[in-house]
Amino acid sequence: MSKDINKSARIKLLISRIVVYGILIFLAFLCLFFFYLMIINSTRSNAQLKTGFTIIPGGHMLDNFINAWNDGSINIPVGMKNSFIVSSMCAVLTTYFSALTAYGTYVYDFKYKSLVHIFILAIMMIPAQVSAVGFIQLAYKYNLTNKLWMLIIPSIAAPSVYFYMRQYLEATLPLEMVEAARIDGSSEFRIFNTIVLPIMKPAVAVQMIFSFVGSWNNYFMPALLLNKAEKKTVPIMIAQLRSADYSKFDMGKVYMLMLMAILPVMVIYIILSKSIIKGVTSGSVKG
Amino acid sequence: MAEVTIKNVKKVYPFRETDKPKKKGLFKKTVEEPVRRNNLERTADGVVAVQEFNLDIKDKEFIVLVGPSGCGKSTTLRMVAGLEEITSGELYIDGKLVNSVEPKDRDIAMVFQNYALYPHMTVYDNIAYSLKIKNTPKDVIDKKVREAAEILDITQYLQRKPKALSGGQRQRVAIGRAIVRNPKVLLMDEPLSNLDAKLRNQMRSEIIKLRKRIDTTFIYVTHDQTEAMTLGDRIVVMKDGFIQQIGTPQEVFDHPRNVFVAGFIGTPQMNFFDGELILKDGKYYVKTKGITVELSAEKQKRLHEHNVQPQEITLGIRPEHLYLSPEGIEGTVDVSELMGSSRHLHLNADGKDIIVIAPTDEADEGFNGKTVHLSFLGKSAHIFSKTDETNLEY
Repeated sequence: MSKDINKSARIKLLISRIVVYGILIFLAFLCLFFFYLMIINSTRSNAQLKTGFTIIPGGHMLDNFINAWNDGSINIPVGMKNSFIVSSMCAVLTTYFSALTAYGTYVYDFKYKSLVHIFILAIMMIPAQVSAVGFIQLAYKYNLTNKLWMLIIPSIAAPSVYFYMRQYLEATLPLEMVEAARIDGSSEFRIFNTIVLPIMKPAVAVQMIFSFVGSWNNYFMPALLLNKAEKKTVPIMIAQLRSADYSKFDMGKVYMLMLMAILPVMVIYIILSKSIIKGVTSGSVKG
Repeated sequence: MAEVTIKNVKKVYPFRETDKPKKKGLFKKTVEEPVRRNNLERTADGVVAVQEFNLDIKDKEFIVLVGPSGCGKSTTLRMVAGLEEITSGELYIDGKLVNSVEPKDRDIAMVFQNYALYPHMTVYDNIAYSLKIKNTPKDVIDKKVREAAEILDITQYLQRKPKALSGGQRQRVAIGRAIVRNPKVLLMDEPLSNLDAKLRNQMRSEIIKLRKRIDTTFIYVTHDQTEAMTLGDRIVVMKDGFIQQIGTPQEVFDHPRNVFVAGFIGTPQMNFFDGELILKDGKYYVKTKGITVELSAEKQKRLHEHNVQPQEITLGIRPEHLYLSPEGIEGTVDVSELMGSSRHLHLNADGKDIIVIAPTDEADEGFNGKTVHLSFLGKSAHIFSKTDETNLEY
């Protein structure tokens, strides 16, 4: 009797495992398939790509790379450099100032504090496209186009990053710690830099990655603000290759440039993946 | 090493949005009384957390502020630390008015209930933090940190992070961080509350030893009357933002100024009976539940000095001062707890709960459900006014 029960329990467990693993494999496939597609396509020539999709890689990877690198209309190293400057500056400044703002509204008591908090969160509801109209007009009026810092400065105000930081602070920073530092003789700014920021490291790392990737992939604002070749970022270059006229159009080049574009992001993800997991799960269990 | 003078200090917390009286209807003028969470006084400006606080703390004195939750003891400590603004009154440290001086410039140190250690720093860096801020030379920092660690017996943990320490060790680090600066005043806000009972006892004796080793003024906040009695040179008993009594532990225990202090200090709690104060042939007697006891000469003298008239009273007797006798206050034993050297008898006398500490040779387990009689000596009676609950002897 007990043997039968054991057997049926084992079968149930096996079935549930098969279902769970099946779903996970399917989701993993969905996530990875497009990467695979891109990598395969970057190894195939334009003519081969027109014939449809294959699972086996082609032999034109080097040709595609050389073609993309030597394309007269784009300068990949300059694009990479521009993208890197904009993304890294955005990542650093966005997270730092959002953490600073979150710290301000969390630690200090001032009149209309909750109103300020709600106001910042309300900004999240305004689509970037709406505020972009006025911003672009301003940029053209004062001749501020083709300047990378015009992409960096506005990104500092990031309500969603602020919200994340604020939630993280509420979960991890006891106010007594700030008070202890005050009594120890630390200035307010020093408390933030030497006590609070290191405690927020996982949250900062997570938001840095998200901001970096968001900025690296951003096409909308750079496309509106940058039109000089030496100021263009990678997404604009990809779009430029993509919209080349019929005689120059080479999908192999486009896939190759896309592959090159995601490499820095992948490296950053791999380096900081530990912090992402730590940051996303932080506060979920009592430490 | 400093005197602290607190003169008529008051703290009012402005109402929060949720505390403000709300109008019942959109156009109605009637207002809804906000929910009261405690007995603190409420004025138009807000909730009064501390008022009429006057205290002179002598140099190197160990003062303990004690009282139930919400009595204003932590608020007072935080005002001394500079973490709370003083609404009115004056605060002097070493003769200097410090009402508007920043916490960092008051030369004080504070130990928090939840340790408030910096989790990303090692124990060494935690202790050294305040010295580093002052740009103290590295060799001096090293010497001072090691000295503090030596005193607190945490030298072997200096390179560890706080998360790798136990509660007791963390609290030692927090104390180390405070004493390394040689502060004028050392403030402690319920430093032992997060520890288990055994560790609390151990740390309590550590604090007594520490006090002998470092020459400074201590202000210690606790809700535990045992800590207050064992640590303080003087204790300040507080309730609802007011000081109830200031005195040495023995004074407060022997001569409580009102019913609250009498009930709060001492474990098990003092027993209270409804009674009567009688003046007969120039002598005072107390009468309760069929027993009349003549008061001691000392008490007679004090009552005569204040010309106390015979009246209805609340009579307070400590559990250790009630004894089993053939006649007296009658009660039925509900529970009998063996405490080792003595037995705690929980009695029901006319619907009132009474605790008696009886020697084990007088009371055994067979006492459960038994009817007994209790008596007391005139010197152990505490006589409180029925109207304002103050001690009639003072």
